[in-house]
Amino acid sequence: MKVIEIRDVHKIYDETEVAVRAVDGVTLNFDEAEFAAIVGPSGSGKTTLLNLIGGLDIPTLGEITIAGTNLRTLKSSELIDFRLHNIGFVFQSYNLIPVLSAKENVEFIMTLQKWPRKERDDRTFELLKAVGLEDRINSRPAKMSGGQQQRVAVARALASRPKFVLADEPTANLDSKSASKLLEIMEKLNHEEKITFIFSTHDARVVKMAHRVITLEDGKVVSDEVRE
Amino acid sequence: MIRSISWKNIWRNKSRSLVVIVAVTLGIICGVLLIGIMKGWVEQRLHDAIYNEVSHVQVHNKEYLKNNELNLTVKNADELTGIIGSFPEVKGWVKRTKMIAMVNTSWGNTGVNIYGVDPEKEKQVTEIWKRVIPGAGEYLDESKPGNILISDKTAETLKLKQYIITEKVLSSLRSEKVPDLILSKLDTLKDVRFRSLKDFREALKGELKMKELDNYGKMIIDKALDYRIRNKVQITVSDETGNPVQGTFRVCGIYKTTNTSFDQASAFVNAEEFAELYDGKGVLTHEIAILLNDIESADLVKDKLADMSPENEVSTWKELAPDAALMNDYMVMYYVVFIGIIMLALAFGIINTMLMTILERTRELGMLMAIGMNRRKVFSMIMLETVFLTLVGAVAGMLLGWSIIELLGKTGIHFSTWGEGFEEWGFAAVVYPVITADFFLLITVMVIVTAIIASIWPARKALKLNPIEILRTE
Repeated sequence: MKVIEIRDVHKIYDETEVAVRAVDGVTLNFDEAEFAAIVGPSGSGKTTLLNLIGGLDIPTLGEITIAGTNLRTLKSSELIDFRLHNIGFVFQSYNLIPVLSAKENVEFIMTLQKWPRKERDDRTFELLKAVGLEDRINSRPAKMSGGQQQRVAVARALASRPKFVLADEPTANLDSKSASKLLEIMEKLNHEEKITFIFSTHDARVVKMAHRVITLEDGKVVSDEVRE
Repeated sequence: MIRSISWKNIWRNKSRSLVVIVAVTLGIICGVLLIGIMKGWVEQRLHDAIYNEVSHVQVHNKEYLKNNELNLTVKNADELTGIIGSFPEVKGWVKRTKMIAMVNTSWGNTGVNIYGVDPEKEKQVTEIWKRVIPGAGEYLDESKPGNILISDKTAETLKLKQYIITEKVLSSLRSEKVPDLILSKLDTLKDVRFRSLKDFREALKGELKMKELDNYGKMIIDKALDYRIRNKVQITVSDETGNPVQGTFRVCGIYKTTNTSFDQASAFVNAEEFAELYDGKGVLTHEIAILLNDIESADLVKDKLADMSPENEVSTWKELAPDAALMNDYMVMYYVVFIGIIMLALAFGIINTMLMTILERTRELGMLMAIGMNRRKVFSMIMLETVFLTLVGAVAGMLLGWSIIELLGKTGIHFSTWGEGFEEWGFAAVVYPVITADFFLLITVMVIVTAIIASIWPARKALKLNPIEILRTE
């Protein structure tokens, strides 16, 4: 079942005299429970493509349809609501809310979605256990390592059972041990929760573990390799 | 969750938040003090206006207030007082004779309103008897005929107030630990009588250095003050035919209220003795003063009396002391203006702090919008942070302000230096600040309104953030 359909999407920045084609005619589909990496050199359009898929940016041309909804048809406020209910985000710099504990960070999205407390608590504990942080539920981000913070961010992204998770360079700020642990956790959750993961990455370890590797160059898809 | 985040967010940068909190606290303390002092003054003025000067309700002959003639007495006064006494709202009432008179001594003269009163009954309605200066004689006593009670101001005009350094005064100053050097300098002024404060001050200036005068001047003046009690004064009034008639009274005591204007225009004698002077046929009633159990009943009692006695003029304290009524009526407006000015100043500090907060947290706010926190919630979060920040300062300010008011309410604040000026307007030189619960309710509402208004700009700034532009900077 197709979760994401990208049809001939272009993103052109014309803020300077010379127009920049950050994404140039990309057509891709992602199915349920995929574990895909988008790779390519710096400036190849990886992050721009993720932002377009995540509804954070609007394509100049082309259509992106997520679970049957064409993002172009949504107003700004509807897009925010759509992201809340359908997409999980993991950022390079973790971006946890510094004043909240690990538990509160994970349950934040569920609170915005007005989940009942009991379900929220159960899901939070289940996810923190899954990312190996059940003993750090009351720790604030400042008291955790980068790897632990990124694991909390993954738990937060998965909390409300989104259609898919977008992770922009999730291991870029982590040492190799933390990065490996994070990748193992994400792969496990992808398998258990049947949630599609799409990464943009430079990290060879991520590429090695991905089930599908899409390579971008100058905003174009130059290869799309599915591994068994 | 939003409330919890907002609350925690204000403690992220403790020192910056504390600066705002302290500013709000100090602002509120100043506001509470200012309002407390104002309210204290207004309540004192209202109390003194009613209990020393006009009571709650007065009845006069319709023509009397325009033309204070001897024969313009209250119509059917005896019948009316019988009815007044039966009103459940009435606490006490008195009948008074009131005539303009010339009072003179060998050294001075002045015009005053002479009130012919029943001294004991008067005590039920006014507090003049409590205002007799300690050591300056006593209140009117029916058993001691021929007496007059005059004010400190009248005594000054009639030169019945004098300053004299006697051996007793020097000994009293010595017991107050005034240095011998000062006392020896005062020796040259011993037993010299000064009939005005100005002359006495000049004489002291000639003997003492400025610093000595600053340190001990007030004490010396207070101790040297001497009223010529039992001195005779001559009173001249017009009789029924308009001819002047004169009588002699002895000063039994000196009183002083907080209203110099009232003091210099009012002297009190026994009504029956006064009647012998102007007529000899009986006591005339020019004024009935009524004290009520509750100030709010004044209009009701006025209406009842006006219906029963249309031939007389019935007035409430609001008509008789319009200055006090005006201040009382506009008190809430004064609160709002004063606190409004303080809040306006604080609002700029709050806006500045919150704008800095937004600037520092652009990435976080962008992330929150990216993951699905809608603009309404972002707006609410920033607004709540501002309200919490302001409320913390406001609560601290109100508690501290209240404590200070409680303390000062007992000790009073002495404005002795400007006392004379205040008393010209009917305000006491010692004010006892007062704060009531309704003020705290008002200030809480104003603080919340200020915080909400001050939060709009920063919150709108946050709404204009574009998550993609913020996250692109990663």
